[in-house]
Amino acid sequence: MTYNDYGHLVADASVAALSRQVGPKSIITFPSGDQKLPGPGFYEITGLAWSGSGAIRSVEMSFDGGQTWTPAELRSPAYPMAHTRFGFHWKWDGKECVMMSRCTDELGTVQPTRAEIAKYWDKPNDSDLQIRGLDNSVFPWRVASDGSVHNGLA
Amino acid sequence: MGAFTMDSRKLLLLVMILGLSQISRAQSPTYGVGRTPTAEEIRAWDISIGPDGKELPPGRGTAVEGAGLFVRKACFGCHGETGSGGPAPTLIKSDGKSKSPYPCLTPCVNDSNVMALHAPYATTMWDYINRAMPLTKEGKLKPNEVYALTAFLLYKNGIIREDEVMDAQSLPKVKMPNRDHFALAPEWKHGTPRLQGYP
Repeated sequence: MTYNDYGHLVADASVAALSRQVGPKSIITFPSGDQKLPGPGFYEITGLAWSGSGAIRSVEMSFDGGQTWTPAELRSPAYPMAHTRFGFHWKWDGKECVMMSRCTDELGTVQPTRAEIAKYWDKPNDSDLQIRGLDNSVFPWRVASDGSVHNGLA
Repeated sequence: MGAFTMDSRKLLLLVMILGLSQISRAQSPTYGVGRTPTAEEIRAWDISIGPDGKELPPGRGTAVEGAGLFVRKACFGCHGETGSGGPAPTLIKSDGKSKSPYPCLTPCVNDSNVMALHAPYATTMWDYINRAMPLTKEGKLKPNEVYALTAFLLYKNGIIREDEVMDAQSLPKVKMPNRDHFALAPEWKHGTPRLQGYP
């Protein structure tokens, strides 16, 4: 239970609908913020995916800001309403990059990027963008050339 | 027609037997861990106050008393001296002139969704203060103090008069400004997207 359950009721029925249930959501747990990669080479990216709509069907990774997506592998059985571990074999060339994961649940709903959410609400995709309802947007990590990992939105 | 009825009965009986066996299988075995909670433990957990406030304990408080408590209980430390501009959620709508130096935390509660102005029932505020405040000393406020702090926030947001006494009878009767201004979620069926067309 959070402060939001205490009657921070919304005037917009669409936002109310998005507040009841979380959509497909995934996060990369390695590499992630405050971690540091020792140098270029092979890494196993891992993360978690889940959805209020049911089991996770697939997870994809992007390294070009969400332009192209490559399938990741599910590393644990996918159950409804449960975290599903995913993994991705990655060779880092030592250059700065931004990595993102997105998942698709059994309804076929694809985790949206902030750009897609901004487009839906017809708002600019900037740091002021407020994700309405439960936030299941794609979250980027920025890997700097020294291997340090940072919030990709900051 | 008679045969059809008989068949349906047999089918019904079969369904019932199957159903019963499912129920017996669904009951989990016991592992000899845990214990029945005591009546006192259940009382300590059972603190939810519903919209009609019938669970409210005896007690009373006013905005004036609440103003003193806001300082003595150090509420202002996180919520700001004026109830806004602090790192914690805004409690009193600000004058709009001063901007908070803090980034809005998640959940972001600023002038646009102050609890007293957004909550549909005053009893909801009582429940929250009683349950969750002050941070790290939750549950330590006495009923009189919770009534007073609720009255203070209601008064400062222009919902009740300064001299109105809040108690188990008056608090549920407070007409909250946002009572009739929220949306119901569209009808939703299990196994369908939460909002059609949303990416």
